[in-house]
Amino acid sequence: MLRFPSILSLLVGVSVLARAADWPQWRGPQRNGISTETGWGDTWPGDGPPVAWKAKVGLGYSSFVVAQGRAYTLGHADGADTVFCFDADSGKSLWKHSYPAELGDKYFDGGTTGTPTVDGDRVYSLSRWGDLFCLEATTGKVVWSKNVQQETGARVPEWGFGGAPLVSGKLLILNVGEAGLAVDKATGNLAWKSAPKAAGYSTPLPVTHHGEELVLLASGQAYVAVNPATGKEAWRTKWVTQYDVNATDPVVDDERIFLSTGYGKGGALFKWAAGAPEQLTKVKALRTQMNTAVLVGGHLYGVDGDTTEKASLKCLEFATGAEKWVQPGFGSGALIAADGKLIALSGSGELLIAPAAATGLVPTTRAQVLGGKCWTAPVLANGRLLCRNSKGDVVCLDLRKK
Amino acid sequence: MIPESPFTRRRFLRTGAAAASAFAAAPFVLTAEPGRKYRTALIGSGWWGRNILKEAIASGRVKVVALCDVYANARETTAEQVTDLNGDQPKTYNDFRELLAKEKPEIVIIATPDHWHALQTIAAVKAGAHVFVEKPTGHTVNESRAMLRAARDSGRIVQVGLHRRIGPHHVSGMNFLKSGAVGDVGMVRLFAHGGGGREKPSANTEPPEGMDWDLWCGPAPLRPFNSRIHPGGWRNFLDYGNGQLGDWGVHWLDQVLWWSGEKYPKRVFSTAGRPISGPAVLNAKEQTTDAPDHQVATYEFEQFTCVWEHRRFAENNAEKHRIGAYFYGTKGTLHIGWQDGWTFYPTDDNAKILHEDSQLQQPDGHNLKLLWADFLTAIDGGAKGVANIEIAHRSSVLPLLGMISWRTGRSIQWDGATEQIVGDPEANKLLSRPYRGEWVYPAV
Repeated sequence: MLRFPSILSLLVGVSVLARAADWPQWRGPQRNGISTETGWGDTWPGDGPPVAWKAKVGLGYSSFVVAQGRAYTLGHADGADTVFCFDADSGKSLWKHSYPAELGDKYFDGGTTGTPTVDGDRVYSLSRWGDLFCLEATTGKVVWSKNVQQETGARVPEWGFGGAPLVSGKLLILNVGEAGLAVDKATGNLAWKSAPKAAGYSTPLPVTHHGEELVLLASGQAYVAVNPATGKEAWRTKWVTQYDVNATDPVVDDERIFLSTGYGKGGALFKWAAGAPEQLTKVKALRTQMNTAVLVGGHLYGVDGDTTEKASLKCLEFATGAEKWVQPGFGSGALIAADGKLIALSGSGELLIAPAAATGLVPTTRAQVLGGKCWTAPVLANGRLLCRNSKGDVVCLDLRKK
Repeated sequence: MIPESPFTRRRFLRTGAAAASAFAAAPFVLTAEPGRKYRTALIGSGWWGRNILKEAIASGRVKVVALCDVYANARETTAEQVTDLNGDQPKTYNDFRELLAKEKPEIVIIATPDHWHALQTIAAVKAGAHVFVEKPTGHTVNESRAMLRAARDSGRIVQVGLHRRIGPHHVSGMNFLKSGAVGDVGMVRLFAHGGGGREKPSANTEPPEGMDWDLWCGPAPLRPFNSRIHPGGWRNFLDYGNGQLGDWGVHWLDQVLWWSGEKYPKRVFSTAGRPISGPAVLNAKEQTTDAPDHQVATYEFEQFTCVWEHRRFAENNAEKHRIGAYFYGTKGTLHIGWQDGWTFYPTDDNAKILHEDSQLQQPDGHNLKLLWADFLTAIDGGAKGVANIEIAHRSSVLPLLGMISWRTGRSIQWDGATEQIVGDPEANKLLSRPYRGEWVYPAV
C-alpha cells in the first residue's frame, strides 16, 4: 500500500516534465516519423544510453510498433516469419506468432520487410507474400487470417509487399494491387480492391486535403490518391523508379507534396491545390531509397543514396529543395524526430542524437549501439528507443532522464 | 616460358585489322576529330548499361541520342537520368532495329543479355556505328566468330567490356608478372566463389507492365516470365547466359591470355553440376535457374595448365580470396583479385608479401572509365582498343568451350586455327544453336 502514492507521485512528476507517447503504427502516431514525446534524455556520454533489454528476432528490416506497454516487430528464420510481442519495459517475450514464409533473398539478405500495426486490442500484420493476420494484441491469438494476394490475384512486387496495414475507420487499407485494397478490420472481408498490377512498397498515408479524406499510396509506377472508404481513385501522378521501387511515403505539408525515391531517381516538390498535384521542381539532392525523409521546422532530413553506394544524411530546405548540409558516411540508415531533435541510426548501427537544425549536424550523443546492417528506423516510445539490424539483433535503449 | 609482349601483339593486330578493313564499304568516313561528340545510343538500358552510359557521359564526348530497352521502365528511368546528367533528351525505343534505322548513331553501347550480343553488334556495325558491347562476346562460339567477321568487314571499332584489361591493379599485376618476380609460372588457377544453398522454384508470373517479353527472349527460347530471370538473374539461365563461367570466368580467362600471349588452349575439360542447388525446374507454374552451382574447367595450353573453378555454396572463409587468379610461379604465388587488388606471396619465407590496392569506380567496382577512354582513343584513330573484338573473341571462346565439354561430358580437343573441335561432330554442333522464330543465326 505504501508504494501506491509513490508511483502516483512519480507519474504526476513525469507528466509535468515530459510527455510520453506510444508509437502504434509505421512512422509513429502522426504517420510522419515524429514522436510527440518530450523530456527524454538527448545527451549520453561514452557508450550512449543504458541498454534496457536485448532480443533476437530473426532476419528482416521490419520496424517496431509500441502500444500499451507492448512492443511488436517481425523477423524471419528457418522458413517462417514470426510476429514478436515483448514487454516494452523488460523485454520479456509475451507471445510469438509464426507462419511459413519464403526468405525472399533476391539481391539482399531477405527476411521480413513489413511492420505490424496496433489498433486497440488488435495487431495487424501483412507478409511480403500477402499473408494478412489479425491477432489479439495481448495473446497473439489469431482472430482471423487470409492471404490477400491469393484472394485478389494482385501482382507480388519484386521484393514482396512492404507497406504496413493502415487502420482507417472500420477498414484496414493495404498497399496491395495497383492502388491498394481494403478489408473489414473486424472480419477480414474484402471491402474494395484495385487492378491486380504491381504495388509500390509504401504504407498507405491518410491525409485530409481541403476537407476531403484521402489515402496516398506508392504504386508500381505512380503515386495515387484514393478515397479510403471506396477505393475510388482521386488522382495519380506518374512516378517511375528503376525496378518499380517506389518505396517511400509522400511527405505532405498542406499544399505541398515531396516525393523521392532511390536508384538515382531523386525527389520532386509538387504543388497540391485541387485535383492532382503539379510538379514544381526536381530535387535531385535527396534520393530516398527506403526510408522517408522527416520534415521538421521547414526542413527535410533524410538519407540520400542507395545501399550500393555510400549513402549520406542530408538536410534540405523543404520550400526550395536547397541542400543545407551533408553528413557523408551515414550509410543506408534512417531517422525519426522528437522534440525538435533528430534520432538517427546509421547504416552500420551508430546512434546519433542531434538538434534538428539547418545550420549543421551537431550530435549531443554518438554511440555504436548495434553492428551489422541497420536499414530500419529507430522507434521512440515512452522513453525507450528500439533499434534493430538486419540479422535481428534488437537493442532497447533507456532514454529516460534519471 | 617467356610471355609475348602485349604491345607487340596489339601492334600486329592493329596492322592485320587495318588491312582487313581497307576495302570495307563504310557508310561514312570517320576522321580523327579529338574532342568532338559522338551520337551515341544504348541498347539494353538496365543496371550495367547505365553504368557504361554514365562513364560515357562523364567523358564529355557523347551526345546521347537514343536508348533502347524492351522494358519501358528501364528506358524511361534511364532517359530521365541522362537528362538529369547532361541535358540530352534521348529518344526511346523498344526495338533496336528501329533505333538503328532512325537514329544512325556513331556509337552504340550494347548491354543486353548475352543471347542478344551477336545480332545487335552485327546490326550496329553494319549501320556504321562503333560498338562497345558487354562480355562475353557471343552466347555460342559461332556468334562470336560472326561478330568478329562483321567488325572486320565494317572497319568499325568493337570494344568489349573486359575492363580488367585496363584496370590499374591488373596492369601493374601483369607488369609484376612479366618482370619475372613470380619466376616461371607453370599453373594458373581462376575462381569466383559465393554463397548459396538449395534453390526453391519461384512462381512464373505475367511479365511486368511495359515489358516486351517476346523480344527480350528474341532468338533464344521463350521461357515463361519469372522474376528470377529478369532483372539480372538471366546469367544463371543457360538459354540466355553461360553461368558463372560465362559471366565471371571470361574476365579471368582473358587475364590468362593477356599474360601468356597464348591464343587458345589445346584441350578443354569441364565437369559441373547442381548437387547443392538441386535439379533445374522448368514448368508452366514455376522455375529455377539451370546453371551449374559449381564447375571445374581445365584448359591445357602449350606450356601451362589453367583451371577455373566456381561454387555457389560454402562461401569462402577458409582461403584468403574469393575471386581472382592465382599465378603459381617458382618464386611465389601472385593473386590478382577484384576489390582486394593484387598480392604476391613469395616462396622465400624471408621475403615480404607485396600488395597493391585496387582502383575501381564504385559502387559496382569496375574500371569502365578507363576502358571507355581507351575506346574513344581507338575511335579517334589512336589505337585498336585494349579489349577489342579480336582479343575479346578469343577470351570469350574459352568459357563457351568449357560449357560444351560439360554438356557433352568429355574433353574436347580444340583447333584454334580453324576454330573447330577435332573429331567430334556432336560437340561441333554446339558451337552454334538453333534460333527461335524470325531470328536467323549469323553467318560466320
